Amino acid sequence: MTNQEFLLVFLCCTVTMLICRCAPLMLLKGKSLPEQVERALGFIPPAAFAALVANDLLSPTMFDAGLWPAGAPLVAALVVVVVARLTKSLLWCAIAGVVSYALLMMI
Amino acid sequence: MSLREDISLAFKAALPIVLGYIAIGIPCGILNDSIGLNAIQVLAMSILFYSGAGQFMIPNMFLAGAPIASIIASVSLVNTRQMLYSASFAPMCEGIKKRLAFMFSACVTDESFGVNTEKFEEGDWTVRRALFVNCFSCASWSASNVLGVLIGSLLNIPLAIAAFAMTSIFICLMCTQKITVENVVAVVVAMAGVFLCKAVGLSGPAILLGAIMGVVAAFVVSTVRRKPTEGEVTAGD
Repeated sequence: MTNQEFLLVFLCCTVTMLICRCAPLMLLKGKSLPEQVERALGFIPPAAFAALVANDLLSPTMFDAGLWPAGAPLVAALVVVVVARLTKSLLWCAIAGVVSYALLMMI
Repeated sequence: MSLREDISLAFKAALPIVLGYIAIGIPCGILNDSIGLNAIQVLAMSILFYSGAGQFMIPNMFLAGAPIASIIASVSLVNTRQMLYSASFAPMCEGIKKRLAFMFSACVTDESFGVNTEKFEEGDWTVRRALFVNCFSCASWSASNVLGVLIGSLLNIPLAIAAFAMTSIFICLMCTQKITVENVVAVVVAMAGVFLCKAVGLSGPAILLGAIMGVVAAFVVSTVRRKPTEGEVTAGD
């Protein structure tokens, strides 16, 4: 990648990112929001986490390469669900996830 | 409420993110090194652009021969999900100085959004502490990316396994949400929405669109579930 190409990608992506990150907060901040808006904002965390999980684990072509390459992360994900319910700890979940996924891939 | 206390509490909260970012930041640095970016360029990008998904996409698309304009459009589209996080933090930033709110929102990521949201829900959390969580996360991301450029080829980190640390963090955050009918609807619809988006070729905005579908579905359910009680009151009249 040439320096010119890098600068173009870097600047454009940084500007769009900064707008997405800052504009909604700066526009909504300090305004007394209608009850409906507050209620909708409260559903963003569960919906966003679920979308991030689904994006990592699910895809329409996931079983094309056979059952196990896609099955292993799903089984590891179940292990993480159990650890999450038991410990509520992000750190233990990350460790349990990585270790169980690594072990499952060795099968 | 001392600065020292803020920093140490924030570090504790940020630790899972920091470890995860070190694990995936090094492979990310290696990948960016492979398209000829130097340590300074990668450092600038990690601090100012600061996007895990984006910094993996740029070299991947470039290596696949995608035109520059298409790289910019795709990366920007994937990052539109940040608007949701930004909106969701607005109530927490009420009464906070503009500069602090801006600095905080400018460095929110998927993972730090999760950790800070959890902390705000627990209570006893401030925007200043949340900003420190973001700073620790960004510092570890930037340092490990630069490390990846400089000595990455000496370390052999299997990326799929390292990246699962992030997936695990998202699973934990999802599972520790309050179990209400509305939240379950939000989760199920968001997951189905992401799958659907990918199935019809919209994998770029899949996270944003899936999450919006989840929010809308949960909002509709919560509105419908309120109605009957109001109806009973009217019927009683």
